[in-house]
Amino acid sequence: MAKKAPHQEFSLTRRGFVAGSGLAAGGLLAVNNGLSLSALAQDGGAEVTVGMNNEPNTFDPHLAIGRHTETFLGNVYDSLVKTSVDGELIPGLATEWEQVDELTWQFKLREGVTFHNGEPFNADAVKFTFERVLDPATEATTINLVGTIDHVDVVDEYTVNIVTSQPDIVLLVRVSELYGPILPPGYFAEVGAEGIATAPVGTGPFKLTEWAKNERIVLDANPDYWGGPPAVSRVTVRPILEDSTRISALLAGEVDLINVVPYARIPELEGNGDIKVSTVPSPRVFFVAIDPRDVPFEDVRVRQALNYAVDADAIIQSLYLGHATRLATAFDVAAVGFDPSIEPYPYDPDMARQLLTDAGYPDGIDANFYAFTGSIADHSQAAEAIVAYLNEAGIRAQMNMLEFGAFGPVRVGNEAIPLFIYSIGNWSREPALTVSWMMQGDGSLFYQNQQILDLIDQALATFDVEERSAIYSEMQQLLKDDAGFIYLFQADAVFAMRSNIEFEPRPDELFYLYPLSVAGEG
Amino acid sequence: MASYIIRRLVTSIFVVVGVSAVVFCLTFLSGDPAVLMMPPNSTAEEIRAFREQQGYDDPILVQYARYMQRAVQGDFGDSIIHGQAALPLIVNRLPATLELTVASMILAICLAIPLGVFSALRRGTIFDLGGMLVALIGQSVPSFWLAIMMIYLFSVTWGLLPTSGRGGLTHLILPAIAIAVGLMALLTRLVRSTMLEVLGEDYIRTARAKGIREMLVVSRHALRNALIPLVTVIGLQFGYILGSAVVVETVFTWPGVGLFTIQAITNRDYPVVQASVFVLATAVVMINLIVDLVYGFLDPRIRVGTN
Repeated sequence: MAKKAPHQEFSLTRRGFVAGSGLAAGGLLAVNNGLSLSALAQDGGAEVTVGMNNEPNTFDPHLAIGRHTETFLGNVYDSLVKTSVDGELIPGLATEWEQVDELTWQFKLREGVTFHNGEPFNADAVKFTFERVLDPATEATTINLVGTIDHVDVVDEYTVNIVTSQPDIVLLVRVSELYGPILPPGYFAEVGAEGIATAPVGTGPFKLTEWAKNERIVLDANPDYWGGPPAVSRVTVRPILEDSTRISALLAGEVDLINVVPYARIPELEGNGDIKVSTVPSPRVFFVAIDPRDVPFEDVRVRQALNYAVDADAIIQSLYLGHATRLATAFDVAAVGFDPSIEPYPYDPDMARQLLTDAGYPDGIDANFYAFTGSIADHSQAAEAIVAYLNEAGIRAQMNMLEFGAFGPVRVGNEAIPLFIYSIGNWSREPALTVSWMMQGDGSLFYQNQQILDLIDQALATFDVEERSAIYSEMQQLLKDDAGFIYLFQADAVFAMRSNIEFEPRPDELFYLYPLSVAGEG
Repeated sequence: MASYIIRRLVTSIFVVVGVSAVVFCLTFLSGDPAVLMMPPNSTAEEIRAFREQQGYDDPILVQYARYMQRAVQGDFGDSIIHGQAALPLIVNRLPATLELTVASMILAICLAIPLGVFSALRRGTIFDLGGMLVALIGQSVPSFWLAIMMIYLFSVTWGLLPTSGRGGLTHLILPAIAIAVGLMALLTRLVRSTMLEVLGEDYIRTARAKGIREMLVVSRHALRNALIPLVTVIGLQFGYILGSAVVVETVFTWPGVGLFTIQAITNRDYPVVQASVFVLATAVVMINLIVDLVYGFLDPRIRVGTN
């Protein structure tokens, strides 16, 4: 090993200090195995250590829980379709595909690919994988996301047909990185579900060589990867949950790359010559849901007033230090058919008051506002600011701030009305699914608009992206004008790394380490 | 002595059973488990289906009976997140937590005894005041703050010690200090006050009158008697140390029971939370039992009193 643990040297020279703390100084000679800096390994590739704010719950793609698990699987597994950084669907384990009819998609499979254990990749693996996720006995956590698949037909060794039970415009997304990792049937027969959960075998760019839960995940480069071996020879992922500790580990050089940097720490890190910060808009869209079933929110003018009343740009500047993108509707900037020509509501409290007066509420209105703490994304601070803006404009919003555990039942019990803050991640880039979820008519989400619902149905039945985008443009205009929600923003995902690390965060939240490299090495 | 031990054992079992009952109830007080465990963007229908599938719609007493029946066999169910039996997951992490807590206790005791004795012997001097001030600060400083400050100084600024993780002894130093400081402060004050008390006893005066060297008076006659209450307090403080360990393990990403429990709580992984609280509570009860027995052994008055 060419790498050297720097702390070991220090320990010897600082023996006096540590001895003074009451511990035997001789013990400092003990092996220091938790540290690693990027350095040349024996085979020439660099080694990189990553500090992650979380840890996959499993490497069984069908039992994945949480976005942090789903977005990590692509390092070990491949899927038929992959996604480029720009969001284009590109060949993965399938080299080409075509839609045979409304329900049938034919995939030509990449030949000569083997799993990490040497097992060949072929049509049987594809069939096995999708049959397993659809099998009720698997109790797959991802079943809702691939549930439109009816069955898989093997045409020949390198051709499969995936048949859906209904026309599905996002089928290709369903068989991509998040929900479509391909499993090796032979290995699975050998080790079973428990085996692949902790010792996965995929065809991906990295092999998992060690997983000590809570300590580290060691990924070694797959030298036979069909796309060429990764630039780094080994990536050690250390789950470091505490934000400040993760940043400290980066500053101390123990890790080379970290995710989830709190916005408040960005200026400090940017000012450090050894560190660089990289941000990308994450596909999570924040909004305030409005219950329009009753007065006063059944009146579109009142709902528009809410939108005029909130200075979302100021919230972005103060709470996110500018690291968020103002949105006009529920469409995030990377969504299919995002129409930048539709401008967000400007901040105009006078207009808000005027609209309230026009609607017959010159003395303002009263409303309950629900928000929560302790979720994956911080909604509470934005909620506080929004409530303050609403009150300024004459909408006397009463804040009900609950812990996420208490908020869940309130929302699902349809009691988080008439106003609550929430967010939704657009996993498929297909906003018809996002908007349809937001208009489910349950779970305290009561805004529905027949015209928009019709457009959703149309979009979901339109396979041509151009045509679909036109439908989406119309949908965005309607969403904005009918103001069924207070539209807010999407926040940035923030990564920080040592200055010699080359890593571009992705807008689709994939934590894909294949393109990772170290400047001047590998 | 035998009946004393049996009585203490039976009480301990009741305590553990009581704790597991409380744990079961607490879990359900924090909200509807089905809502909490499903992804935030699940539809109401998906949540209802999950609730039925997991049996969360059964009457609470039925669920409790099911839980206790399994719990007495050490079966807390499978972790929702990890898909493995919950109890072994916790037990596997005990060595790391024990390593940390034992190191902290040794560190605290090794520092507290000399400091306390010294302060008592130099009562009222600047040393005594300084020692007590340090103890007061040590007891007041929250361990998570101390942990973050130490990481900043020792790891980031000076590059002496690793920021986090478990490995060699270097990884142990900062987290052990973070836990030890509070305990050390408490023990120092305790040693000082009991030493002062003991030094005023007749037998000390007698010992001094016999012309025994002061060194021996302090170490053999005074300190040995002063240490008896220390044993009890250390036992009682074990629960506190485990509590600090939960916080400190999280800050330092120390892969022990505490970190794992915090993750389980965040993920609403109820079987793991239940198993963890059960294991931790059992550990505290066991330690207290052992301490009581040791105490009875050290101080015959306790044994006689209970019989």
